[in-house]
Amino acid sequence: MIDALNSMLDSLMDSAYIKSLPFLYEGLKLTLLITIVGLFLGFILGAFTGLGRLSKNGFIRGISTIFVEVVRGTPILVQVLFIYFGISEDLIGVNISALTAAIIAITINAGAYIAEIVRGAVHSIDKGQYEAGRAVGLTERQTMRYIIWPQAFKRMIPPLGNQFIISLKDTSLFSVIAVGELVYQGRQYYNATFEVFETLVMVCIIYLMITIPTSVILRRVERKLDV
Amino acid sequence: MITVKDLHKSFGDLEVLKGISAEVKESEVVCVIGPSGSGKSTFLRCINLLEDITSGEVTIDQDVINDPKTNINQVRSQVGMVFQHFNLFPHKTVLENITIGPVKVKGMKEEAAKEIALQLLEKVGLSDKADAYPESLSGGQKQRAAIARSLAMEPKVMLFDEPTSALDPELVGDVLEVMKDLAREGMTMVVVTHEMGFAREVGDRVMFMDEGVVMEEGDPQQIFEDPQNPRTQEFLSKIL
Ligand SMILES: Nc1ncnc2c1ncn2[C@@H]1O[C@H](COP(=O)(O)OP(=O)(O)OP(=O)(O)O)[C@@H](O)[C@H]1O
Ligand SMILES: [Mg+2]
Repeated sequence: MIDALNSMLDSLMDSAYIKSLPFLYEGLKLTLLITIVGLFLGFILGAFTGLGRLSKNGFIRGISTIFVEVVRGTPILVQVLFIYFGISEDLIGVNISALTAAIIAITINAGAYIAEIVRGAVHSIDKGQYEAGRAVGLTERQTMRYIIWPQAFKRMIPPLGNQFIISLKDTSLFSVIAVGELVYQGRQYYNATFEVFETLVMVCIIYLMITIPTSVILRRVERKLDV
Repeated sequence: MITVKDLHKSFGDLEVLKGISAEVKESEVVCVIGPSGSGKSTFLRCINLLEDITSGEVTIDQDVINDPKTNINQVRSQVGMVFQHFNLFPHKTVLENITIGPVKVKGMKEEAAKEIALQLLEKVGLSDKADAYPESLSGGQKQRAAIARSLAMEPKVMLFDEPTSALDPELVGDVLEVMKDLAREGMTMVVVTHEMGFAREVGDRVMFMDEGVVMEEGDPQQIFEDPQNPRTQEFLSKIL
């Protein structure tokens, strides 16, 4: 009995399930790095573009809208190929690292979706809030900063969390430009060991270990914010 | 105090105000009545430039407010506005709702603004609600808090756009009481209202608006008991 258990444990410890982990862990670090940095920059880009879409200035509104439509209307895989090969190598002839290209791709892609999140949230705030702010004597900028934005930001939290999950999964596409993220590491590992099934199971588990808690937390936050 | 000369306002092709001229003297309380869609709200909103004026002139204390050289924010800070739906800031406490104007617009110290806010809250009967959030207040309390928020800027004029229309009947009285106090203290007020009792008791003058023009104006007694214009007669017969 004990012997049987012991040998099962031994074979588990010896299997690709466990042995792939250190290798995949290296990939996970890059996956998280790309997602977090990309989303942070994407939020800044998205905030500007989202507010740009609500601008009274037709030119600003125009370029914001074009940016959002072009990015949302093309696959992120094509976008990253563009950034890595198309623009940096072919067009302007500078080589950026694959990691940089990946971060730029997430920034731009998430930026466009976040722009819509920001636009929707700001737009959903009752016009009376803006008017009350102005009536008190606040400038347009102050009204935005102290009255509209704090209320809108609360409404952005759930969709931003959702975008985090989407962008996290999108990073897997960057294995095509050989960024050593989670999926790329997985492929390297099973190409060498031929333990394809075990490796992919572990890759999935790692993704789920991030995405499931995130959505549980999100749902809780959503209920608490009541939005 | 306020002089309005031939004020026109259009939204695209729709002309909502078709040449309004009016004068409000210091400490005067002018009530504006009229059917829905007649342009009462638009008229008030033009006085503090929440709408830009298509043509005409609005003067407050010698300043032509729709002159491009005039500082709009300065004008607005001198004109208080109370909305039908209160428009309190839900993410701020009652106290913060009141202090934000003095602090951000006038550059007042947080402490000084707080002191003023507490005095105003006492005046409107909400001393115990300083730290409450708007969502926990009743409609009448919200409106009184909104009035306090406007007063904190020490406006020369207060504009009220149907301040009691969104309230349950039993909550109307407290709000009207606060407004009566203000009138008694000599505040210049323009009040769009359907509260004929208030107009009669507190109003120095009543303006009847219909289809973007002032059809008739006069002292409340005359307008309510002996209206001259057939449109005024028709309107009053419907609501009284
Ligand atoms: N921002 C806007 N854009 C287009 N039309 C508008 C706008 N604001 C008001 N209007 C129109 O102007 C007209 C007058 O509106 P206003 O709100 O001034 O009327 P009111 O007398 O206040 O009516 P109520 O008693 O229902 O509040 C209405 O026909 C309304 O539809
Ligand atoms: Mg109105």
